[in-house]
Amino acid sequence: MPRSSRFGGIARRDLLRLGFGSLALGASGNLERSPFWSQAAAKTANEGRILVVVELSGGNDGLNTVVPYGDDAYYRARPRIGIKRERLRKLDQHFGFQSTMAGFERLYKDGHLAIVHGVGYDQPSFSHFASMAYWQTAAPNRGELYGWLGRAADVMDPEGHANYIVNIDTQQSLAVRSRVHVPLVFDDPQKFTRTGFAEEAAALKTIAGRGQAENEAQAFMFGVSRSALDAEQLVRDAWAKYRTPVDYGLVRFGLERVAALIAADFPTRIYYVAYRNNAFDTHVYQSDVHARLWTYTSDHIAAFIRDVARLGRGKDVVLMAFSEFGRRVKENTSRGTDHGTAGPAFVIGEPVHGGQYGKMPSLTDLDDGNLKYTTDYRRVYATLARTWMGHRDTEGLLRGNFEPLPLINA
Amino acid sequence: MAASRVSPPPQWADDLSPIAAADWSFDRAAHLLERAGFGGTPEDIARLVAMTPQDAVAALVDYHTIANDHLPAFERSDVWDSSLRDFPVSRVAATERAEKTGEAMGVRVKPAGERRLQPVVDRFFYWLRATVLETRRLAYWWADRMVATNRPLQEKMTLFWHGHFATGEEKIRDYRKMEQQLALFHRQATGSFRELLINVARDPAMLAYLDAAQNVKGAPNENFAREVMELFTMGVGNYTEQDIREAARAFTGWIDDDLAFKLDAAKHDDGQKTFLGRSGNFDGVDILAIILEQKVTAEFIAGKIYRFFVREDLSPALQAKLGAILRDSDYQVGPLLRTLFLSRDFYSAPSFGTRIKGPIELVASTYRKLGVKRLPGIPDLHVVSRELGQVLLNPPTVAGWAQGRAWITPGLLLARGNFARDVLFPDIINFTDPNFNPGREVKRVNDRILAGMEIAVATIEDAPSEGGGMAGGMTGGEQTMANVIAGAEDFNTRYGSLVGWQEAMRRVKPIPRAAAQLDLAAMVLAAGAKTSPDAVDHLLMRLLRVPVDAEVRQVLIDVLERDLGTRDLALATTYLERPLRLLAHLIMSTPQYQLC
Repeated sequence: MPRSSRFGGIARRDLLRLGFGSLALGASGNLERSPFWSQAAAKTANEGRILVVVELSGGNDGLNTVVPYGDDAYYRARPRIGIKRERLRKLDQHFGFQSTMAGFERLYKDGHLAIVHGVGYDQPSFSHFASMAYWQTAAPNRGELYGWLGRAADVMDPEGHANYIVNIDTQQSLAVRSRVHVPLVFDDPQKFTRTGFAEEAAALKTIAGRGQAENEAQAFMFGVSRSALDAEQLVRDAWAKYRTPVDYGLVRFGLERVAALIAADFPTRIYYVAYRNNAFDTHVYQSDVHARLWTYTSDHIAAFIRDVARLGRGKDVVLMAFSEFGRRVKENTSRGTDHGTAGPAFVIGEPVHGGQYGKMPSLTDLDDGNLKYTTDYRRVYATLARTWMGHRDTEGLLRGNFEPLPLINA
Repeated sequence: MAASRVSPPPQWADDLSPIAAADWSFDRAAHLLERAGFGGTPEDIARLVAMTPQDAVAALVDYHTIANDHLPAFERSDVWDSSLRDFPVSRVAATERAEKTGEAMGVRVKPAGERRLQPVVDRFFYWLRATVLETRRLAYWWADRMVATNRPLQEKMTLFWHGHFATGEEKIRDYRKMEQQLALFHRQATGSFRELLINVARDPAMLAYLDAAQNVKGAPNENFAREVMELFTMGVGNYTEQDIREAARAFTGWIDDDLAFKLDAAKHDDGQKTFLGRSGNFDGVDILAIILEQKVTAEFIAGKIYRFFVREDLSPALQAKLGAILRDSDYQVGPLLRTLFLSRDFYSAPSFGTRIKGPIELVASTYRKLGVKRLPGIPDLHVVSRELGQVLLNPPTVAGWAQGRAWITPGLLLARGNFARDVLFPDIINFTDPNFNPGREVKRVNDRILAGMEIAVATIEDAPSEGGGMAGGMTGGEQTMANVIAGAEDFNTRYGSLVGWQEAMRRVKPIPRAAAQLDLAAMVLAAGAKTSPDAVDHLLMRLLRVPVDAEVRQVLIDVLERDLGTRDLALATTYLERPLRLLAHLIMSTPQYQLC
């Protein structure tokens, strides 16, 4: 492992407190019978590697993010909201980031940012809700109980070690819903707590930590109950101790909290962070709004990558950012854009071979005004799960054979 | 403790033979009521204990004869009219329709002037918000039934079917279809799965949810055909992709005609199909009949019912037996439930106190155990549901809700304790009706419009005047800019969203906002409690099915005693209520309370 171990002086008891203990007490008997359990795909070699997934909810306008300025069709379709050539941060003769994306430009020039063009899926849904669920479950046009990251974790760590998955949000995302794992979900580290009156405080601690389990369900509940107390404390401590010189930008949507946990040596391997409130749903007067959204997003992500490098963990972290769909090619009459199909996904980090992958969809050969996707999003997932995280059965995970993209050092 | 338990013999596990009258006890009756319903007060449990096990189970399963007239029917708000039929699938579709025909959703395009399509866009957003708000009322009405009903198994099975045939308003955007589907589940809750399946396949909510309109001859959409086998009847691995394609052909032309099922003959593919090894001129009903002939179908459904009511682990041998019971009754669900609820297996150690309550079960059973007769409006059901992770009528996907462990994270466990506090100590000072809260963005636009701003300026995300200039109105430059934009745009969706919210909120009936009226002191004293340990034991018995250990019990006694200033309840009767509520909050915050 390339990381410097800080566990040298820590007693085993404390490691357990940190979350290395298993929550799935005595559950292995169950797992072997479970259809989700695959012996062949067990333990992975890539311990210590961290995957951070950033969800940009609302449907990001990919064409105004990675702008195909070399294609006149872009300006024809977007006479009012198309971004002029001279205002772009040019990547090459054809594409440029919009001007507010200085952070992404730096990452790209450093070779740490991969753009995957035209990411989408067959028979696309234009509903935020449905399309996001498809992305979160890696199951387009079908129902699935567990998230793709939850299912990946169930295979990579069938014992369900505590805090393997962390989800920075007010609600648990479907993406991390797992059969075995209990994701640690929190938003504000200060408020990640039970509310109680002063006279209850001491008793609340005692009752939550106690219980003689008579069966697996009880063992599980008591385990989570104990770990809730621990996790609450661990997260607050990690956050209180965390100091960084890095500026995370104007909208800190969660990656600074991820960095705090990484700094505290959390055993977490999967982090899920959302830019919330459907922010990227830019139907009206989108130019300023969308530019601002990307100021925040690109600043925040670039800061995070700098920060993990500062922590000596740059080689252990890969981040992927996606949105549930792109937007229509043609601008609408309100100087915005409506729900569309394919868009770019971004894979970022020191281990990434920066550059451009996949094929940019045509702006004129459209499907009812929408881009025809060129790369199935599950190929991006296969890259992250197999190449980066060492998941050996991505065919089972993604229910199909999706070739990883060559954008990460194996 | 009052609710001491006798462990059943280990060989009861997997044994479907009925328990004997001598096996019947308070704990077992309480277990039955938790699982087959939503729990109840000690008096409710005592009524079951006084019966034989057979009669107690019959009192739950054969509910059709039990009076339930006190339950109010769902009182619709006056929000829908026939011009909203065939509601456009998106705002884009709405304005395109208006441009093409001069009218959409009963609203005409302005002949001239600024923002000619604005009334159409307002109308579009009105319905979008109205159906969301009315769906919350419908969910409130349903959850109230769970609290108030005399037929708890009917509601429990309805909840089961809602999770099984999961359909969500967020996609179909019509609460009326959800209401109709809910009525179907209520009607056939314990009836024939065969009939239910056929009715669901023709149910307008399901048809809309699984894209029936896109499933046409020559270009089948496989969404329903896939899910009907994978999620609703057989499970993966029992059919091929080719079977899905063939089944999709058989369901072509099945569409929702507002609230009715319609067969669109022109779009139906009536050619030869080969499905699960059989060939014929199949239509959708034929496909469902073939599915129901499969042995695996009965086993799949019986197994899922078992996991919901009994426990998650199920041996293949037991599943085969349960499947046979369901098949032998031609898919009548009642007989299977009766067998399960009477079985030794249901009362065996692995089944007892091992179910992690789902959020809605937690909410309904909390009120029932406290003797609350109607669902309070404070805390708000929708907010609680979202925080705990189960919003009725909006499941996460067509696969429904993952049960069991997926209900719990450390944060969600804390949130459950916070819900208990909101019930026992409702914070009315900070309560505002969430149905009157359209979100920050709409509020901001509203404030600006009310302050006299032009639409174009008011709807720019961060108005240039924000941060000082707002009250003073706009500068000339902005005014000019606003006029330029207003002259150029046909409509403004942010403004439409505001107008839509206002109109929807005006027309949707309010949810009554009252907090629970509880009298824990009366309950504890009526139970004969004399001392603080008595009070603790009474509330433990009332609330928990999984006992706490001696140390926790002692902690609870200590807290109560310190709060009361005495061990003797007689000295504390005049101020007993608040200390008992603190005690109840502590008990409901235990991990044990999450299990039943």
